[in-house]
Amino acid sequence: LAACPCLNSAMFNLVSELVDKCIGSRIHIVMKNDKEIVGTLLGFDDFVNMVLEDVTEFEITPEGRRITKLDQILLNGNNITMLIPGGEGPEM
Amino acid sequence: NEKKKKESIFDLSKYIDKPIRVKFQGGREASGVLKGFDPLLNLVLDGTIEYMRDPDDQYKLTEDTRQLGLVVCRGTSVVLICPQDGMEAIPNPFIQQQEG
Repeated sequence: LAACPCLNSAMFNLVSELVDKCIGSRIHIVMKNDKEIVGTLLGFDDFVNMVLEDVTEFEITPEGRRITKLDQILLNGNNITMLIPGGEGPEM
Repeated sequence: NEKKKKESIFDLSKYIDKPIRVKFQGGREASGVLKGFDPLLNLVLDGTIEYMRDPDDQYKLTEDTRQLGLVVCRGTSVVLICPQDGMEAIPNPFIQQQEG
């Protein structure tokens, strides 16, 4: 189903199950605006605020600017639109 | 005080394993096969395609798409869900025709 090694082909009824299985793996987050984040998922809460590490931030609208951050970030779940387990981010 | 039971006004289970189109706050659009959902309208889509918008007019779709694969869509961001074969693009019906 996906490139993420932690997933099998079972159907998911609960979305939180899917995200939970991705803890420890790379995940690609698409925001409501033109920003995308790729990082290793350390954890998340009921509001899908996320703690990520080894993070790369992408701005899509300009020619493809890339900002790399290391260490850990807390990503506010307010503006998250899509979560892509095992994703490596947009092609640049 | 009795807590009001949260009931869904719509049952998405009839769309399971069917292709659906989803529109999001901020103008993003995607389609994919619905594999799962929850009462908060979070969705799991497989084989997801995102339809990319015109950089000059962010509400206009282009021919460009990108493949995203297995995706979780946040219910807090979803504004519209419809079956993929239940919609078509039509010419703007609101433009006044100029009489010759």
